[in-house]
Amino acid sequence: MKTPPWAVPALVVLFAALGIGGARLLAVPSVVRDYAPAGPGPRRTVVLVVDGVKCTDTAERAANQLKDAPGVVRLVAYASRNRLDVTFLPSVTDPAAIRAAIEGPVYDESSGEYLFGVYKVVEVDGVEAGK
Amino acid sequence: MRRLRFLFQVAITVAAAIAGVRFALGWARTSVETYCPFGGLETAYALLARKRFTCATGEVNLALFVALVGLALIARKAFCGWACPLGAVFEWTGRLSRRLFKRHTFQGFWSIPPRVDAALKVLLRTAVTATILAASWATGELVFRGYDPYYVLFSAHGHDVRTWSYGILGALLALGLLVPMAWCKYLCPLGAVLWPLSAVGRLRLERSEEACTGCGACDRACPQALDVSGPLQVRSGECTLCLECTGACPTPGALSLHLKGAGR
Ligand code: SF4
Ligand code: SF4
Repeated sequence: MKTPPWAVPALVVLFAALGIGGARLLAVPSVVRDYAPAGPGPRRTVVLVVDGVKCTDTAERAANQLKDAPGVVRLVAYASRNRLDVTFLPSVTDPAAIRAAIEGPVYDESSGEYLFGVYKVVEVDGVEAGK
Repeated sequence: MRRLRFLFQVAITVAAAIAGVRFALGWARTSVETYCPFGGLETAYALLARKRFTCATGEVNLALFVALVGLALIARKAFCGWACPLGAVFEWTGRLSRRLFKRHTFQGFWSIPPRVDAALKVLLRTAVTATILAASWATGELVFRGYDPYYVLFSAHGHDVRTWSYGILGALLALGLLVPMAWCKYLCPLGAVLWPLSAVGRLRLERSEEACTGCGACDRACPQALDVSGPLQVRSGECTLCLECTGACPTPGALSLHLKGAGR
């Protein structure tokens, strides 16, 4: 079947759109971390966008930041979206405390030193995070 | 159509450069790697084996790769000719080479028998692809960043780019002056993966023997230096459907695009 030349750019645009759009359907977590069993009670999940979370390693480190945080139940990281979904017990902690724990100094095993300013929470539940 | 393609190429190249600079300045959180379809293949093994993406790749890479497979099965290597910023840069380098050395084709200084050329394309690109995939699958890292001309050119001195990375980029551009499109033809791993799909791709250029005068304008215009005026159909998996040949052809109706398997 004879095809007009414009079919080529049209197909390129169509498949690029399918690719970018299709990515939204492919949510594969980079890291899933369950913390020590938390007590009973209702749970809440806060969605954080974090500067510094950009790959599996940096997401793992961010997950380590919460390992001693009280009331944090679970972390699911989507590194390519810089996103951490943190489930917690509202009776014990809140998003501000979680943010502070993530932004706190990071222990660097290779140098044995604490690093500052590694993570910065830039969005909390879709709202730009204040300073 | 040529002007439209040029606009596509400029737009994607400028967009890639801007994305790289924005990421480097901390104004954006997505780097140029996010939009490389080959990253989708690099990360596929990590996803299957470890249920996670390789470092610095994600669902955008994977979805773009899957979309690109679909595109190649219909429109062959149209991605290379219309939407790859690196392809655009190497094509422009090839055009510069034609001017500098006053050559009429994109053949450059490299002239070997077509069969040897075809074998070299498959062998070299397969070797590059296998090496990159083996290394990234083994380490879970994009270990070839510093060698990747796309990343070196567009990441605005990104992570892992060293002084020698620019040396490699410069060497590839110089090679592109001597042998236009050398990167795309002989080294590009994405080109290697797309080639077999493109070879069976449905959109093909056909030449009408009645209308064709045999002037060879199409051969001279083809950035891939393919033989367009010889066969009745351009079957080569290297055809990027750039349509430079149809634009150069002075005879109306001599070259036209056909969707195979969709009736006459
Ligand atoms: S044969 Fe025509 S459409 Fe295919 S790469 Fe060559 S010039 Fe472009
Ligand atoms: S440019 Fe057109 S007329 Fe000339 S050889 Fe090619 S198809 Fe035939």
